[in-house]
Amino acid sequence: MPQREFDITIGPDGKVQLHVSGYKGQSCLEAVKVFQQIIGELQSQQPTCEFYEPEEEVQTRIENRQ
Amino acid sequence: MSSVCILTPVVVAAWPAFSAAVFAAATSLGFTILDQTSSAIYGSTQAKGSTEVELEIAQSELVTDSLARQEQLCVTREDVTVTFSRDARGRAAICVSGTGRSKDELRAIGEELSGRVVQQYVYRRLMEEMSARQFLVVDQETDENHAIRLKVRHWEN
Repeated sequence: MPQREFDITIGPDGKVQLHVSGYKGQSCLEAVKVFQQIIGELQSQQPTCEFYEPEEEVQTRIENRQ
Repeated sequence: MSSVCILTPVVVAAWPAFSAAVFAAATSLGFTILDQTSSAIYGSTQAKGSTEVELEIAQSELVTDSLARQEQLCVTREDVTVTFSRDARGRAAICVSGTGRSKDELRAIGEELSGRVVQQYVYRRLMEEMSARQFLVVDQETDENHAIRLKVRHWEN
């Protein structure tokens, strides 16, 4: 099971900074939506380098050796 | 993916949940809660010459049934009293009053307290919702800037 991590900082003014990690590609957008539902409006979103990595998929390589 | 997001909270709460957030925020800032009788007396005998500032919590909605009585909560610290109530539009209204204080001072006190109320509301809502979704809070702390930091893990199938 893939592990996802969320670093949440709730400022003294109530604004929330959310750092989502453990996702590849754009699949974390769904997780961000969950937090939007709980907290409120998305003010800004800054992707990190993992955002541009390919989404998770299982790769199988079969080699024939003679 | 990884990303960093900034979320602006929207406070939609019933009065009990809202007043719990007010209670936690006010006590953390050294305010004491006035009981309902004192609140009523305070409202009718506000000191002459006291300065008053009205604020509201932006993007707030206090839900209540139409038969509910007028709800308000007063907290006090030194010579400043802050009254939380639900205004006619359903928003959280804040009245800050005190003697010998400028409007700017009272506004700053009210804004600090209302920010902490929203912070407490968000914290409680997050903890409740994350628990329901099997998110695990593995670490939490309040830093020197009074921000609450949570480290959360979730395992997906």
